[in-house]
Amino acid sequence: MEALLTAENLTKRYKDVGALNDVSFAVSDGITGILGENGAGKSTAIKIFLGLIQPTSGSAMILGEDASESIAVRAKVGYMPEHDCLPSTVTAAEFLTHMAEVSGLPPLRARTRAADMLRHAGMFEERYRAMGGYSTGMKQRVKLAQALVHDPAFVFLDEPTAGLDPAGREEMLDLVRKTHRDFGISILLSSHLMADVERTCDRIIVLREGRVVQTGDVSDFTEETATVLLEVDTNRELLVVALEKRGIVVTSDGPGLYVEGPDELIYDQVRDALVEAEAPLRRMAPRRRALTELFERDGEDLRSGRNA
Amino acid sequence: MSVGQDTPPHGSGTPESVDAPEGADTHETVETLEGTVFDIGYQKYTGPREGRRRARIAVYKDGVRNALGLGRGARAKVLTWFFITVLGVIALVMALIAGAVQRYVGGQAVEALNLPSHSDYYGIASIVFLVLAAVGAPELLCPDRRDGVLNIYFVRPLTASDYIVARWAAFLSVMSLVAWAPQTILWIGLTMGDPNPVDYFLENWLDVPRFLASGAAIALYTTTLAMMVSAFTTRRAMASVFLVGMFLISTAWTSGVAAAVGGTLGQWISMFNLTNIPVHVNDLIFGQVSTVTVGAPAGELPSWILVGWYLLWTLVPAVILWIRYRRLAL
Repeated sequence: MEALLTAENLTKRYKDVGALNDVSFAVSDGITGILGENGAGKSTAIKIFLGLIQPTSGSAMILGEDASESIAVRAKVGYMPEHDCLPSTVTAAEFLTHMAEVSGLPPLRARTRAADMLRHAGMFEERYRAMGGYSTGMKQRVKLAQALVHDPAFVFLDEPTAGLDPAGREEMLDLVRKTHRDFGISILLSSHLMADVERTCDRIIVLREGRVVQTGDVSDFTEETATVLLEVDTNRELLVVALEKRGIVVTSDGPGLYVEGPDELIYDQVRDALVEAEAPLRRMAPRRRALTELFERDGEDLRSGRNA
Repeated sequence: MSVGQDTPPHGSGTPESVDAPEGADTHETVETLEGTVFDIGYQKYTGPREGRRRARIAVYKDGVRNALGLGRGARAKVLTWFFITVLGVIALVMALIAGAVQRYVGGQAVEALNLPSHSDYYGIASIVFLVLAAVGAPELLCPDRRDGVLNIYFVRPLTASDYIVARWAAFLSVMSLVAWAPQTILWIGLTMGDPNPVDYFLENWLDVPRFLASGAAIALYTTTLAMMVSAFTTRRAMASVFLVGMFLISTAWTSGVAAAVGGTLGQWISMFNLTNIPVHVNDLIFGQVSTVTVGAPAGELPSWILVGWYLLWTLVPAVILWIRYRRLAL
């Protein structure tokens, strides 16, 4: 698959501080998450690809062009910043029309695109209201709409769910997925919320202290483990006793019970324990690893991870 | 009419029979057409992309609208349009007085009374013009930085230099038009007020290029200085107050001190009267000292010093403004 973004030996230093150290990665079509703690180099990498800052060494290519050289390529790139970027006294329709024109669209087409994008972002009814009176969720939608108004081939989303309540967060993640699935726009999503990345992205890049420590498909990181998750409707305590009688180590987490099993035999033992405890089974499945565990593991372990 | 993401295409444009009200002729039915807007999904943009040129024009247009408060609420317009009206009224009053004296007293009386004309206008109106710049310039720069809009400008096909040059050109255009419009009113008034308009035109046509050049000079000076100050704060009120204070204090302080000190030093102190800097250039263009600068010691200095001083106070703020925005982009 052809790479849309390529970083090769990318280094950025601010005096004595290294923000990015010899970083190489490629981003292809789809939704890619870029993860890392504060100061890991996520924002620096995005700013280099957007042409806002120059790398100290190495190259950053975007859509086949050098990000630090080509101004024209920016017409095909969108950016949704984390911070506020909406003028309070202007209406969303006027703002998006203006931003479409700044991206190079003729005025009449810009107006049409602005109306279309606000409709797709669920802001059509509110488009003639000054943006100062918008809620956080509405502002996030307009920020996304301005990033897409000129129909870019690639868009950078910086913490798109920041400040949103659970319902708003879910709606925003739906919009992000729709942006790729229905609009055909590839995305680099920067976030510190693992659950967002896990549910939205196809691939991830993990940065730590200016270096890439992990890259790969999200499904690889959330692969099945040897732990089995059990949920029963009643007789939970009896089931725990029945399992422990068979020498199985049981850990409890909320409504679920986790049992370790090195081989297929565990399923037979669980079956027998369920019968003995007369516990109606609601759910039994291999547990999948959560993305958050990447950051809970030892730092050295991360550094020696795949593709690092 | 309905609009919806998943709206099925049912009922579109289908004539729908509506039962006639009771008592009406039962043979007649009213037919209405129910319109439906179809959601045809996301459409890829396949039209022209005009790149950096369009981006510059868009920022320029937006700058003109911001400067004049167009498309904004009444609060954004009131101060700007008040000062523009004052500038027009000054020219109108000057034209009416000159016309009345010309018609009712005679042409010789106009010369004897030495009534203010084109060469005096910018001197008389300069402080209003400077206050207008102080009120208008921050509108073009401060909100973009305060609201964080700059970052989404600079990720588009637009450089920091493109942005600041487009904004500067937008405000310069507005200030030039505001400088020329009252002089045009005055010109029309003086021409029409004369018993022989054609003779007046033939004798005074040179005033037109002079006031155009002089208006451009004052617009260039006020635009650049006001934009430079606005580039260093995100608060519009702070920029406006600083600019007005700078003009008023420099005028009051230099007038008193320059006269008291006298000599060459007094002349140089008088040069720091920021209100008078473009008016001295106006005097050189018209070849006569205006009513405002007539007592200013700086006016006695050679022409090249006055022009050089004007250029210094225009070019240095322009360079500072440009560097400031190049750094902001990083």
